[in-house]
Amino acid sequence: MSAKTLELETQLIERIVKKRKERLLRAEERANQILKSAEEEVERIKSESEKQILSLVGSELRAVRGRIVGSAELKGRKMVLLSRQELLSHVFEDAEKRLAQISDGKDKGTDYGEVLAKLIVETALAIGGEEFIVSANTRDLEYLKKNLNKIRNQVKDAVGVGDLKLDDEPIDVIGGVVVRNSDGTKTFHNTLEGRLVNTRGRVEAQVSKILGVI
Amino acid sequence: MGMERVLSMGERLQRLLTEAEKEAEAMIVDAERRAEEMISKAKDDAERRRTMAQRGYGIDELLNEAEEKAKKEGEKNIKDYEKKAEAVKEIPVEKMAEAVAFVLKEVLPE
Repeated sequence: MSAKTLELETQLIERIVKKRKERLLRAEERANQILKSAEEEVERIKSESEKQILSLVGSELRAVRGRIVGSAELKGRKMVLLSRQELLSHVFEDAEKRLAQISDGKDKGTDYGEVLAKLIVETALAIGGEEFIVSANTRDLEYLKKNLNKIRNQVKDAVGVGDLKLDDEPIDVIGGVVVRNSDGTKTFHNTLEGRLVNTRGRVEAQVSKILGVI
Repeated sequence: MGMERVLSMGERLQRLLTEAEKEAEAMIVDAERRAEEMISKAKDDAERRRTMAQRGYGIDELLNEAEEKAKKEGEKNIKDYEKKAEAVKEIPVEKMAEAVAFVLKEVLPE
């Protein structure tokens, strides 16, 4: 075999082997591409199917969420509400302590005698009539006995007519008065505790606003 | 003689190429078959799940998933409310004093 023939053979073999490799490589690439496209199509089908299922069972899923999140929401709001109520109670407890100090004459900024007189005048105006019987605690009864004429005049000035009598039986309050007319048909509770309770119902929102917890 | 040998080899090599061509085609046909199977299976699965969902079956996983997600959301909400509740307790002394003074003003007669 000549050298030329051998070279021809070698060249032929190399070319054919190269062609074979190329053909197989192209086929492999094409096969991979087909499988990749199929995988993408599978994902698209799955995703579309999930969407359709979610749309079918959407109301049940929303119900599950509503039940759980709604319950947590309720619990959380209750927590904040309780906290706010505790704070408000604290404010009104402090106010009650301050009222006790005022009625004991321990608050220099407030003349409790003046407060008591105003409470009686206010009550007489509300009840109306000519004669009023005033009940108060032991300490306030003592004060009222000593200043009866002065307060009686204040009532007369405000109501026009009116006589003031004191009930000797003391009542258990931190301050203020309970006033009734002579025949006992009308009674007005104007105690400090009572006024505090009424005030709480009326001003809670404003107090919350001052505290910045609305 | 030399040229005959080369031609004979050429024929054998051509057969090799033809076989490679068949192998390549088979490779593609196999890939197409597998792709078709994958898509067909996915379609069948999707149809089966859809039918089950329509009847209310096979949605436990979805419901469990929704429940877990909602629980996490609920826990986060509660934590936010806990923070709000704590913040309510931390009111400055001056604000408290202002609130008490306002209440006293409302309670006492003018």
